[in-house]
Formats: sequence, C-alpha cells, structure tokens
Amino acid sequence: MNIIGVAACVAGIAHTYIAKKKLILAAEKAGHTIHIETQGTIGIEDKLTDNDIKSADIVILAIDIQIKGKDRFIGKKMVEVPTEVAVHSPTALIKKLQEIVESVEVKK
Amino acid sequence: MSITRVDEVFNERLINLNMNAVNKKEAIEELTKNLYKEGHISDSKIFIDDVYLRENEGQTGLGNHIAIPHGKSDTVKITSIAFGRTKNDLIWECPDDKPVHVVILFAVRNVDKTTVHLKLLSQIAMALADDDILNRLLKTNDKAEIISLLSQEIS
Repeated sequence: MNIIGVAACVAGIAHTYIAKKKLILAAEKAGHTIHIETQGTIGIEDKLTDNDIKSADIVILAIDIQIKGKDRFIGKKMVEVPTEVAVHSPTALIKKLQEIVESVEVKK
Repeated sequence: MSITRVDEVFNERLINLNMNAVNKKEAIEELTKNLYKEGHISDSKIFIDDVYLRENEGQTGLGNHIAIPHGKSDTVKITSIAFGRTKNDLIWECPDDKPVHVVILFAVRNVDKTTVHLKLLSQIAMALADDDILNRLLKTNDKAEIISLLSQEIS
C-alpha cells in the first residue's frame, strides 16, 4: 500500500515530527511505502509532489490545525485524525488505513 | 550539522538526572531555572506563563513516562531544550495515564534569525518516536548517551 499524508500540530515544534516518524516506523514495519509532509513553525518540509499524490492509495492527515493545500487530496481516500492518535497508536492507525483501502477494493 | 550547533541547543549542562520535583509545576520550574542559569531565557516567570499557554492547548505527555512541555516566548534568547528526570511519579496529562519520569522542556524563540535551531529541535522530537530510545532515556545515567540518543535523527 502506498500511503501519503501530512502532519501538523498546534505549536508546530515537536508533535508534528513525532507523529511523522511514528507513522513512518509503523507503515514500514507493516511493509508499506509512506511519505509524510510536515507543516510546522519551520515551514513545509518533505512536500508532497503531484506524482506522490497521484500514486497514493490513501491519505492520512495527522493534524490539529487547518493545513495548507488540503484541496490537493480531493478525490482521494482520506483519513483525518489528531496528531495524538498518530503518536500514541500508529500501528492501529496504519492497520485501519489498510482495511479502508482493502474494503474499497473488494467493493469494486 | 556541526557539533557546535547541537551543543547550542542541547548539552550536558542542560541535563538534570535527579530532579527534586514532585509534580508537574515543580518540574517545569526546575528545568526553567536551569535554562535561566545557562542564559537561554531572560525571564523565568514570563517563560513559565508561555509554557502554560501551550499546556492549555493540548496534552504534552507522550505516554511511556515522557512529557514534552514547550514554550514559545519573547523571553527565550536561545532556542534549546532542557532534560530532566526524577524518580518521583509526576502526574501529567498523557494518553496512557502512566506517571511521568522524564520531562524534556522545549524553549523556542518567537523570532529566530535562522531555522537551524528549530530544525534541530524537530529532529530531536523525531528521536522520541522510537520506543527503544525512550526506554534508554528512562534508564541511563550517562549524560553523553542521552545526548547521542536524542541526536540520532540529526543529519
């Protein structure tokens, strides 16, 4: 499964980056590819390209604030959670994403 | 990233492995005192008020006995972190309701001339995503090891 997403917390200092790393560790452990953009005090880093978005199976937004460029994901399967969920239960969250992608495929 | 830069945001003088604090308030005060002593903040009271502003916006306990309060404040002269550990059970809002033993206080300048220090802070935060690192932070008595554990993501 090809996962993309954005992490952004209130202060944009710490939780954004912990959430990003937790998601990457959990996704890679489960054998998925993942690319997470961060929107923090420092600005946007690891920005998702049009190609990243086009080839993604699902979008995870781990965010506590309004993010820039949410409209980029229109038409994609998308899950939005607070950063806290990504920080505390990354493995369960990745599993949930997989279930969503698979259930849609079965329906097809 | 040069070693000098890491040393500016985090060094052994900013690590206290035997905090006396018995609650969250005292832990924040103890670490703030350390930042003040090192000349990283100019006013402890204003800084603590700014830390509590952030506390009101959401929990800073990460679970697994670790908390990361942070203050973005005009009184911060050098964007940096202070690391404190205590044997006492600190009650702190967190996802797993475990008592906190390690407190990492982030002090962030309101306006930074460069993003270098903020970048370092984000990389230190990323190290905290690794449970093995958290477990070592709770146990080791070697300050140099704490710095190397937290510097793992710094490139």
